[in-house]
Amino acid sequence: MWQQVYEEINDPNFVLICVAQDTGGEAAAGPIFDAANPTYIQVVDENHIISSAFNFVNVPSSVWIDEEGRIVRIDEGTYSKTHAIGEGEQAITFGNDVYTPALKDWVARGADSEFVQSAATVTGNIREHSFDQLKADAAFRLANLFRAHGQKEKTEVYWEMAKALNPDSINFIRQNLTLSEEGSAGETFMQVMGEYVAQGREYYRPLDIEQK
Amino acid sequence: MAEAFMAYPELRHPFKETPIHPVGSTTVLYQGRTITLAETRGGDNLLIKPEDLGRINGFELKPEGACYADMCVPLNDELLVTLKGEQWFDLTAFAELLEQPYVVDREAGVWSFAEIPAKRQNMMVDAMAPEFEVTDRKGKVIRMTDLKGKKALLVTWSSW
Repeated sequence: MWQQVYEEINDPNFVLICVAQDTGGEAAAGPIFDAANPTYIQVVDENHIISSAFNFVNVPSSVWIDEEGRIVRIDEGTYSKTHAIGEGEQAITFGNDVYTPALKDWVARGADSEFVQSAATVTGNIREHSFDQLKADAAFRLANLFRAHGQKEKTEVYWEMAKALNPDSINFIRQNLTLSEEGSAGETFMQVMGEYVAQGREYYRPLDIEQK
Repeated sequence: MAEAFMAYPELRHPFKETPIHPVGSTTVLYQGRTITLAETRGGDNLLIKPEDLGRINGFELKPEGACYADMCVPLNDELLVTLKGEQWFDLTAFAELLEQPYVVDREAGVWSFAEIPAKRQNMMVDAMAPEFEVTDRKGKVIRMTDLKGKKALLVTWSSW
């Protein structure tokens, strides 16, 4: 996981920040962080501020920022390695084994790394954030305030508004489902995902690193 | 074992009803901030005390206008309103001028303002990371500007 990658890199000029997009706050994300015994910076981001800042629509997503504050890679489904859930033929695998070596190469070689992208490539890879999508973020934050203060009906109203204003946001769809009995990976989620993909939309931008 | 931090213990009971602010107050949300304003005016619009502007969105009132970093928005009668001899700043007129979306729940007295697009233009032009402000699990505020001089990888994940 990321803690292992962070220890392997072990460079004082490299900062790893893992940010949980969790309206459920510390109660939802804290124990998972703790289980990893992390030494990197851990943030529980109830309002999905980081997703808003970088126009992410899903997790895991990531951004590489260089010493001058310039983005050199952005918005990729980010895994530290290939993960498997289950065993044998039933196993579901996700992730990849090329992202971590690319990251290490960048930390070691900086701008000379072949994995550093030009400003033009990066800006091309940043998702559009229209007026309505920005407004969706505002609606989402309003919903979260009501959630924190126990007003379930208003929470639903503004989460629905956020989803309607930014239908691309998997984050909003799944965060909202955490209020339902079936949770964020149940039948509704599978159905929504099926429709999403059928419409030709990508909920991860493809990883632009050659898979060996 | 890593030390366990409990930054938001109150959120273990998310559906316990608690008041958002004292009766008569107004709450403004912007980025990660939640600002309670004791005194506001306005019907359709939200008029705030000029001195509250800075703690809401970081803009400062100067002779040349409402300023943030090297950006200044000139003031006019629509932004700076005088009511019964008192000056008020029209936060909603300011938002409209800056094409900043917002969502309001009038019943609850909560105004949620989205990002100000002009603050983020550099990201789309030359890939400069936008300013952000989050608090880590130890209670330390992390800003984009704090990361300068180091390489940073930000990864989002979730428990859901």
